[in-house]
Amino acid sequence: MQREEKQLESALDAIIMRVNDLKNSIGSMLMKLEHEYETLHWPTFLDNFALMSGHLTTLSKMLSHEKCPPLRNLTVLPLLLSPDRDEELMRLTEHRVHTFSHDLVPDYLRTKPEPEVEAKMNQMEHKAASLSYEAAQKQITAYVKVVTNVWEIVSKAREEWETEAGARSGAVQTSSINDTHTLVAAVGMGKGLKAVIQPPVQPGPQGMMVAPVGRPGTGGPQQPGTMNPNQPGQMGAMGKAPSAIKTNIKAATQIHPYNR
Amino acid sequence: MRLHKKSTAMDSLTSAIKSNIIPNQEYLLQGSVFDSAVEVLLHRLRGLCDNVDSGPETFHDHEMCFSMRSSVQPMLLRVRRALDYQEMPWQLRYIGQNELGDKSRPTIVRNSIDIGTSSTIVEFLTELGCRMDFEYIVRGYMFRKGRMKITVSKIFKMGQGKPLESVEPMSQSYLVELSVLAPSGQDAIAEDMRSFAEQLRPLVQLEKLDYKRLQHVA
Repeated sequence: MQREEKQLESALDAIIMRVNDLKNSIGSMLMKLEHEYETLHWPTFLDNFALMSGHLTTLSKMLSHEKCPPLRNLTVLPLLLSPDRDEELMRLTEHRVHTFSHDLVPDYLRTKPEPEVEAKMNQMEHKAASLSYEAAQKQITAYVKVVTNVWEIVSKAREEWETEAGARSGAVQTSSINDTHTLVAAVGMGKGLKAVIQPPVQPGPQGMMVAPVGRPGTGGPQQPGTMNPNQPGQMGAMGKAPSAIKTNIKAATQIHPYNR
Repeated sequence: MRLHKKSTAMDSLTSAIKSNIIPNQEYLLQGSVFDSAVEVLLHRLRGLCDNVDSGPETFHDHEMCFSMRSSVQPMLLRVRRALDYQEMPWQLRYIGQNELGDKSRPTIVRNSIDIGTSSTIVEFLTELGCRMDFEYIVRGYMFRKGRMKITVSKIFKMGQGKPLESVEPMSQSYLVELSVLAPSGQDAIAEDMRSFAEQLRPLVQLEKLDYKRLQHVA
């Protein structure tokens, strides 16, 4: 007998703990709903539901555990009802229940549905039991048909959504680090923008770019002079035509030996 | 009289430097986006940025980068002119070395000084002994978000005697830059930039890029 009581006590403690967990998570969700409804995201909100369902699962596992004493064999007996405020009760219930009165107790200690509800349930169960086999079969088929229909609609929608998401994830590659490097190096250091000198095959507009090869650091015999005749042309190079003139000059300077 | 004036200008400049109100630090993040996705990015930026009503500002510039070979480390000076607004002044810009900092620093920080000039700046620089290192055409869109500036631009190679309209793009992507000019020591803005860059992911990966490493990347 003693052993059983101990078991009951530990089981009750564990259950109370779980119920408290559940209560806390519900409370925190309500807090979020009330205070953070502007910034609340769906994923975090759904996380809360997942948390609660987790708590519920552990709770029901605990109740169905073999070590848990059969709680339904136990009765809770209200010994004293009083219409006065009960400070201790208020403290225990976080100010939710003020009095342990005849008014509230039946609601809080109820273990069965209300008589009207119970009668209705019985009526339903009776009706279900009295149904003939064929009629039941017929209804089941109809029900299955409806469910299959809905299922098809849902899976079709899901398929569409997934292909769309797949297409989007396929297009997720919207940038390439290589291109970033190319562009940044070009703008920052002129990589790929400095012309590589090739001896012009034909003189004329096919000539190379303005800037002669020299990279910073190589410091080859540069022709600062070649820039100079160039610059006025550049300055005037607001339109497109002058750029051709510019390269003409350039190409020419490369051909003429006196510049070397 | 003139001398006097000059000295007062100098004085106010010195005092401005001392009180640290000159925005000479550029905080910078860079990335790129494929041509095919640029519309999506522009759309998103339109939603995120301040100039919602007017839409993005477009620009079409020509930039020439001059170098002065006085020391081992060449000093780069950038001259920019607007091709779409030719009457606008030209711009001369000095950009210092990139400071990457450690991982805790969200952006590149570098010295940056801008000044408006006339078109004779090229002649002036050439006379100084600067040489044009490279040049390119840049065309794109500019957005504002508070103090942040976001540019989405296409870089074109110049030259080959072709007219400006038929220049060759550098790559199949747009360059995306997020920058703020601020007086030194205002590191808080870098955090804002990081969170803004976060909002553009995964469309664009805005990062701080190490130029020294880029030199070795093919």
